[in-house]
Amino acid sequence: MSDVRDFLLTIDNNKTGAEEIAHQTARKLESKQTSLLQVVQSLDEYIHDEDPAIRAKAVQYLSLVIGALPSNCLTVQQVQVLCEFLCAQLENGSAVGGLRKLSGLRKFTKDMAKMTIRALFANFQDLQIRSPKERLPIFELLNELMSQHRAALKDMGDEFVIGVTDLVSGEKDPRNLMIIFSVLKVVMVEWDISGRAESMFDSVFCYFPITFRPPPDDPYGITAQDLKGRLKDCIAASSLFAPFAFPQLIDKLDSTSPNVKKDVLQAITACASSYSVSVISNYSITLWDSLKYEILNVQEEDLAEEALLSLQAIAIRLSDSLTSADPKSHLARYLRPITNECNEQLQEPQHKQAKPAGQILSSLGTASATAYFLIIKSVMPPLMTMYQAADSITKQRALLEVLVQLFNAAILVKTLPVVPSSDPILVEPLDSFHDRLFELTSQALMSTTKDEVSFRIVALTALLRLCSLQGYLKDNEIGMAVQYFDEIVLEEDPSGRDDLKNQAIQALVEISKAKPHLIMQITFPAFMARLPDSSPPGKNEYLITLEGLAQLSVEKSISDTLVRRLLNRLDVVLQTGGSPTYPQALLSTLIYVLTRRDLRQDPNLSFYHGKLVVDLAQRVVQGAIDPTKSTALNEEATLEILGRLMNLIVRALDDHRQNSVALQVYTLFTDETVWTPVPYQHDVPLPYRLTMILSTSLIASVKREIPLAHNSVETGITHLKELIRLSSIEESPSVRLAILRQIALMVNKILPPSSLPTILDLLEGLSSGLHPTTPLTENAIRTTFWISKALILRLASVSEILTHLLNLISSPSHGLSSARGFALLLAPDEILSKENGATIRLLAKQRVFTICIPRLATDFRNADPAVKQNYLIALSGILKYVPTDVLMPEISTLLPLLLQSLDLPEPDVKAATIETLSVILVESPEAVEEHMASLVTRLLKAADEPTSSTGSSARVRQSALRCLRLAPGKVKESKLLPLKGKVTWGLRACLDDRKRGVRKEAIECRARWLGLDEPDSE
Amino acid sequence: MSDETLNANPAIRNTSDLPSRRRQTSPHSSKQHALGLFSSTVPACAYSPDPFTSSTSSDEENSDDDDIVEPIDEQEIYDLIAPITDPEHPLTLGSLSVVNLPDIHLTPLFPPSSSSTSPPITVLTVYITPTITHCSLATVIGLGVRVRLEQALPSRFRVDVRIKEGTHSTAEQVNKQLGDKERVAAALENGTLMGVLRKMLKGCEGT
Repeated sequence: MSDVRDFLLTIDNNKTGAEEIAHQTARKLESKQTSLLQVVQSLDEYIHDEDPAIRAKAVQYLSLVIGALPSNCLTVQQVQVLCEFLCAQLENGSAVGGLRKLSGLRKFTKDMAKMTIRALFANFQDLQIRSPKERLPIFELLNELMSQHRAALKDMGDEFVIGVTDLVSGEKDPRNLMIIFSVLKVVMVEWDISGRAESMFDSVFCYFPITFRPPPDDPYGITAQDLKGRLKDCIAASSLFAPFAFPQLIDKLDSTSPNVKKDVLQAITACASSYSVSVISNYSITLWDSLKYEILNVQEEDLAEEALLSLQAIAIRLSDSLTSADPKSHLARYLRPITNECNEQLQEPQHKQAKPAGQILSSLGTASATAYFLIIKSVMPPLMTMYQAADSITKQRALLEVLVQLFNAAILVKTLPVVPSSDPILVEPLDSFHDRLFELTSQALMSTTKDEVSFRIVALTALLRLCSLQGYLKDNEIGMAVQYFDEIVLEEDPSGRDDLKNQAIQALVEISKAKPHLIMQITFPAFMARLPDSSPPGKNEYLITLEGLAQLSVEKSISDTLVRRLLNRLDVVLQTGGSPTYPQALLSTLIYVLTRRDLRQDPNLSFYHGKLVVDLAQRVVQGAIDPTKSTALNEEATLEILGRLMNLIVRALDDHRQNSVALQVYTLFTDETVWTPVPYQHDVPLPYRLTMILSTSLIASVKREIPLAHNSVETGITHLKELIRLSSIEESPSVRLAILRQIALMVNKILPPSSLPTILDLLEGLSSGLHPTTPLTENAIRTTFWISKALILRLASVSEILTHLLNLISSPSHGLSSARGFALLLAPDEILSKENGATIRLLAKQRVFTICIPRLATDFRNADPAVKQNYLIALSGILKYVPTDVLMPEISTLLPLLLQSLDLPEPDVKAATIETLSVILVESPEAVEEHMASLVTRLLKAADEPTSSTGSSARVRQSALRCLRLAPGKVKESKLLPLKGKVTWGLRACLDDRKRGVRKEAIECRARWLGLDEPDSE
Repeated sequence: MSDETLNANPAIRNTSDLPSRRRQTSPHSSKQHALGLFSSTVPACAYSPDPFTSSTSSDEENSDDDDIVEPIDEQEIYDLIAPITDPEHPLTLGSLSVVNLPDIHLTPLFPPSSSSTSPPITVLTVYITPTITHCSLATVIGLGVRVRLEQALPSRFRVDVRIKEGTHSTAEQVNKQLGDKERVAAALENGTLMGVLRKMLKGCEGT
């Protein structure tokens, strides 16, 4: 009948079966088929067995039964009985599971908790002889009792403190330590440990510093950082630890290991933030004496930073509830030796330790308003005297840098929450230096020789900080600073002082956020006045002015005004004539400003539409019709920019306005009685044809649903044929490109899917008419590839089209042009783009790649030597735009082809191939391993200086070297070492390349290869 | 080497004040930057050339540039050695003024003959200025400079690294050490020393 007996017989062979037996017992108990007494009694003969294993299993059985019981099933008495029973059996680890279950029940009382704890202490005196896995549930029980029955444990007072420290001592397992640290921290914080502070402290500090490194396949995911964090919390848990913690921590600061030092510094910071003010005060100066060494003699930046945080944490603690600048306060006493030391260091401001001294002051100055006040009061007067007496610009610059650091603190301190009822003495301590500082920074900026760029940059930063310090400078003073900045941007000779000008513009932008009216009143007119009314000959200084204006127009009010003023200026400039670059720059500025606004929501949109689209288009037309009215707008390059601007605006228009634009894409808002649109005409002069650039931009910007003049299926196809005719006879490259893009837009975006068969017929017709190279053929190939591109991007008949295109490559006459055309297929285009409503399917790249690569590889092998290179050119054109992850699976097919491409004379192919190889080297170095020798030879050859016209260009040489540099560290060293001598020897010639950039790359490449096989190299 | 730093508080120069080539060339020189800030208004793909005609046109453009020879000058030598880290401070030899542009001298050994196009054999002398006159690390610094130059310069350069006169108490001895090929080679066999040098030269990477 006995379940326990069944359990014992089963457990060794069948764990789940045994568990099921225990669950059965539990169900019997629940349904009252058996009683708890009976179950316990049934254990009797086994728990007195001589064999400890049998005793353990019997207890395990009971634990499992209890575990399977619903939590409300037991009465208080039953819980009591079980608790007593299990406590008595506790030397047997299997009782722990049952106790954990019981301790979680509501009927588990305070006394039971105490009983359990005492049993734990009594039974596990030498816990460490058990395995870590057995110890874990014991600590978990301890942790659960701690969280659920803390009051009971607290009643035990010292007994618990002593017991728990004994219980956990000697533990080394990281998982167990995580629990122990958190239990001990509660004891340290909530128990009265005044009598045993030292032993409590020692019980955790013996683990410091943590040197644990998790095993590579760590199943528990505990990091050293987790342990460090919990240990740090323990060390910082009680002020009573200070007499032990600080001396030992300071002692460990002498360690040579940066990691240990970092732990020490972080522990000090934690202690400083949690120990009581009076305790911290006792140690504050001792700590300063040790910590300052880390900062002033900085060896590692991040340690110095940690030390600064420690110093700051002390100051923050000492500032707690302090509202006056009383010189006898803890804080004042802490800061005094610090400011003294820093003042001393600053006596030699150009030396190494001055900068850290400034950092100390700045970091402590941000601790609290009081700390800031005390520091400024004691540091500013000597700083001012030193600046006055400084005999060199270097010294002045170093002192200005310290001032900037202090101003930073001033700005930051204003963002701290205000302590209520602050002492009224704590007004801005910089106030008494107000005039002096404004004068000093202004002079440093404006009255220093113009060559002292870096000094003036510091001065500019200092002045800007003063402007940003809320409520410090008056508006008229900030206005003066703005004038200085304007002057730097506008008046000063730009050569070599770009940095300063950029900083000045950034400063103006900064000020425009807080004080836009000052920028509007002062900077704006000053800048506008600088813009000439006609294109100036030679230098384009207006560019700096325009750049400044564009960057300043982040504020909406400024940007509105700017757009109108620029338009007026453009009007004037177009009438006066001259070089087109100035009006082009004005248009570019407009684009820059308008792209940074949400045009769809812009109330001025219709104004832009009227002025920038309609008016300017009409002007272009007038200039095209009448050469005497021709302006800079009729220049090819200007039309490109204007097209972009119109595209930007029309895209933002509502459907209604887009409708009217759509009907005017060729008429360009001009009456057809004066102006005949370009399509369907013959022998059209160039100025007329150039307007096709604008037409293309307009067609692109209109939404797909808006009907264009020619988009019913029949008229659409007729129009497409007309465009193909125009493209075939066009000689101007930019007009031709515009027409080709219109064709692509028609095919990809405008014509309905049903017209696909007709388009494919057109495509077929284009290339079947090909015969030996004449310009006509060249244009036919272009059109073929543009139509193909437009279809492939929307995944229409991809495989059919590609097969057709691949067949063109083998032709001796037009194979080369066709091969080059492959670079067009996947290239991003500014007109045929998603933004313009074209269908660009992400899969297109992958499709083109997977269809073309096998074909190219096979055809290349079988090809006639005369056209072999065509295949490599086509390959490189595709690879240029294919993402790496698509490329990787085919590497073994690609590599031989790529290596041969490196031998081609075509610089573009060579450059693209090197790019691809570089990507492969980084992403999949093991694929290149076997080809390393051949790759190295070819790259060295590509990197060599040109002895004849067939050599590589500087760009190719440089990228070959960069590629070669990637190998060490990526490719297995054993594959590289045999080549080391060859490479380092081969690179000697590159060290003498005629180009500086190439030499630099060669030096770095050589250093990497020389570093191979060196001890300590990564 | 002792743990004590020999000169704990040396004077340092601001990086932006160190001699550099950037200052000498005028801004906005290249074609791409002709538009300055507004180059962002032109989409990147607008620059990609027409693939059908690309190879000839871009070739011309490059070879134009390629014909201009940029000889190795003092500034280039300076750029090679200024970023070397001092063995006892996390600062560069440039910012500590241990190496200075005026103390770098290039002397072509034979006047370049008009018939030969190959560049002349050149003697390079670098004078280094230790931060203090009794700096025992002067030899290590000199060695670092020497190793860097020998790795980075073509073989037609004869490298000579010396202590600047009057800046070191045992300059003569150090110079002798640095000039002696065999002693330099022997020093480079020393593992600890090489470790120090490698750490110093780390600063040169990726510059």
